[in-house]
Amino acid sequence: MKDLQFFANVSIGQYIDSGSFVHRLTPVTKFFGILVFFIVMFANTNVTGTTLLGLWVLAAALAARVNPLFLLRGIKPAMPFLLILSVLTLIFQSGTTGVALVSIGPLSIHLSTLLALLLLFSRFAAVLAAIGLLTSVTAEQEIAHGIEDFFAPLGRFGFPSHEFSLMIAVALRFVPIVTGELESIVKAQASRGGDFGASGINPIRKARSYLPLFVPLIIRTLERAELLVEAMEARCYTGDERTRYTTYEMVAGEGFVRLGLTLFMAGGVVFGLYFAKTLP
Amino acid sequence: MSFIEFDSAVFSWPGSPRPAIRGLSFRIDEGEYVAIVGRNGSGKSSLLRLMNGLRHVDAGSVRVDGLDAADSANARALRSTLVLVFQSPPDQIVSTVVEEDVAFGPGNLAIDRAEIRRRVDEALAVVGLEAERKSPPHFLSAGQQQRLAVAGALAMRPRCIAFDEATAMLDPPSRQAMLDLMDRLNAEGVTIIHVTHDMSEAARAGRILMLDEGLLVRDAPPEAFFAKDGEVLESFGLPPAIALARTMGFEPRICETAGGCARLLADSIGKGLLQRPGAATAGAGAAPGGAIPAARGVGAAIDGAVASGAIPAARGAGASGAGAAIGGAGAGSNQQPPAPAFSLERLGYSYLRGTVNERRALSDISFVVPKGSVVALVGHTGSGKSTILQLLNSLALPSSGRILAFGRDPCEPKADLRALRMRAPLAVQRPESALFEPYSADDVAFGPKNQGLSGRALVERVREAMQKVGLPYENYRDRSTRSLSGGEKRRLALAGVLALDPEAILLDEPTQALDPAGKAAIMALITSFAATGKTVVFSTHSMDEAARADMVAVLRGGALLAFGPPGEIFGNNYDEAWGIGRPWAAQVAVALADLGVWSGPTPLDIATLAARLGSRLEQGAAGAATADLAATAADLAATAADLAAATAGSTAAGREAPR
Repeated sequence: MKDLQFFANVSIGQYIDSGSFVHRLTPVTKFFGILVFFIVMFANTNVTGTTLLGLWVLAAALAARVNPLFLLRGIKPAMPFLLILSVLTLIFQSGTTGVALVSIGPLSIHLSTLLALLLLFSRFAAVLAAIGLLTSVTAEQEIAHGIEDFFAPLGRFGFPSHEFSLMIAVALRFVPIVTGELESIVKAQASRGGDFGASGINPIRKARSYLPLFVPLIIRTLERAELLVEAMEARCYTGDERTRYTTYEMVAGEGFVRLGLTLFMAGGVVFGLYFAKTLP
Repeated sequence: MSFIEFDSAVFSWPGSPRPAIRGLSFRIDEGEYVAIVGRNGSGKSSLLRLMNGLRHVDAGSVRVDGLDAADSANARALRSTLVLVFQSPPDQIVSTVVEEDVAFGPGNLAIDRAEIRRRVDEALAVVGLEAERKSPPHFLSAGQQQRLAVAGALAMRPRCIAFDEATAMLDPPSRQAMLDLMDRLNAEGVTIIHVTHDMSEAARAGRILMLDEGLLVRDAPPEAFFAKDGEVLESFGLPPAIALARTMGFEPRICETAGGCARLLADSIGKGLLQRPGAATAGAGAAPGGAIPAARGVGAAIDGAVASGAIPAARGAGASGAGAAIGGAGAGSNQQPPAPAFSLERLGYSYLRGTVNERRALSDISFVVPKGSVVALVGHTGSGKSTILQLLNSLALPSSGRILAFGRDPCEPKADLRALRMRAPLAVQRPESALFEPYSADDVAFGPKNQGLSGRALVERVREAMQKVGLPYENYRDRSTRSLSGGEKRRLALAGVLALDPEAILLDEPTQALDPAGKAAIMALITSFAATGKTVVFSTHSMDEAARADMVAVLRGGALLAFGPPGEIFGNNYDEAWGIGRPWAAQVAVALADLGVWSGPTPLDIATLAARLGSRLEQGAAGAATADLAATAADLAATAADLAAATAGSTAAGREAPR
């Protein structure tokens, strides 16, 4: 805990308005885009499919004029977990078929294992990049509205799309609030010599050492939630019918984008399920 | 029928044994501008919540525009008639875009979208936020956020706006903007209810209601309100103009600006009785009584000086003033200067360094904090005050330049940051939100335990720290931290810092959002800590508080504009362009100087101003051979400091023992 900074390595949730065509699409289209991404990704589990999917995300990033490297920043904090996962994979997948590259005692590392790891990393990076891209081209309020519009058709079956979107909006509002409170509490306790999670290996003591952070954090979060609820109630929020201020118009060519996405989804699924089997 | 009617209203918060409101009856007519004052916990906030149906009375009745406020069916009508603006700007923002937040209220009324748009445009124009309409609210300053909250209220087309300490967290310019906005809205016919701790803000209203322990104890227009004496008033603090008038023995008059007050003063005293520039300064310097203790803002010193006929020299611009203040760092100016507690050399700092959102918070800051001195950091929100405090505490490390804390460079690879932090701990803004133990004494013990203390030594350390903040160990050790009042929680949090037995303390807006008694207790704490030869660095939005420091650092946009003793900063070297304002007493003196009836050092507190004005009266009277006045003038001056010292909010009292 040298320099206490909380936002440096997070790319998710950082809207960058480059004014591109992708930015101007309605949130519904953007959500459809991410849905298509996940469907195609699950249908394609091999190297060829993942590569094509990665290229597709890269193309979308370039079209949105967002630096692809920026999207990958989020992978840094996840690195330790990925590395642990890699080591575990290497140990437990040793001894499978194929050519062994290195053998150390009972462990042998195979080409296929390395390839599997590479694939794991690539897919993880692709997911991060895709989510990062969505949040880079979608402002916060568009996310909430997008969810509302995206699920609106389900309203017919009783799905509370408005409440759901408000829930998301409030949750998003609380990310900076909770981060800010945590930062202030960490600083207050660090200033009094607090040294978190460092006292020995006894898990109970270790957990206890976090109490000075979590107790006040939970109290403050609840207090602030209560304040927000009061402010909303004071402004006549009842959860009943309300008029939404912002509406979205489709931009020229957006219909083609939706059509393109649909075709890409269909093509991706068919490719992944039927044709990619023979490829690496 | 009145617009708002309280009839024997009684209300208790769920789970609280004592009622917050105990049989309250009063009326407010449409178009009035009413201020509500009272200590923390006196029932002010409960009152507002009863008015718009967020809470319901247990007995009695509350009616707004004829509607029963306790009837849930009226909630929507009530809340669009009487709208609340709360204390904390970020906690009332619902949306992530400015214009959409303004539209939240009318949207809930499910009115036509085109009409909402019209209202949003109008409301944003009134508060002057048109340019920010597409911005995310968390990028706005606190002042702008609060204006956004008002816009959200206006979009409801209310007939009354109730402000719940809505200026408490704002810096002076934003606060002024908010007060002007209230005046303007009231002029347009909107009823304004303003709950505040600040008596000079209350004095702007047409009528002031004072609550104490859930009862209405006073209800009068400002002049009558402050004219009456009363024990209760003193702990609330007086508006500075009233404090001065009382001190000088004049009929209290409400004046909104220091300039207006100066004109009244000049008229009341009579220009002839005041010395012309030049003549008085010699008198002040060579007053009977010999050595003149520089006014230290502590009542006792002034009392003594005035009683013996000496004239307390205004500390500051005068020769004796430069160093003498709370800590008395400058007292031994003939000896070699003390080793610095902190020294900053061309210090720079950026947040989110190396990201697209990198933001420069400080650049090229250089100053030295001598050991045993009190330094105040002043400047708008976002000027870099908090960042400097975090750098002094080694919570943040400089991006450029160098900082030395007690001669140690925190950037050295071997630096023990944890030890360094405990030598000069920081109480962050609202430090009470980091309290975590269920019982008070346990929380105070957190720091010393981290230093390795245990057993008797630990108890002793905790006892001492709690004593210092006025929460005696015997009475408070087993009190639940949740049951303490706002001011007590703040002091308990500061006890947690003092318990480290540090060489210096760093306080980020320590008096923010406290009532006048709470503020006075914190300032007294700073004074007594500094009196033991230790160092204090604190940030504040109150120039009256800053004037009590040894040194003042003026910041803007991350740059240091000026650094020097308050007498210079608020005296000859003062620059309007800094946008910080001066202590009230200094404003009056400057206005008097403009009228040609003041010269010499700029006074920084009301006691000094009153004493100097009194001495002018004395000299002038002697010259004019008006024996009458001369006799009363001495009396007046003698009671001066006494009375002024009690006006906790705006003078430099500080001898009031913390509760």
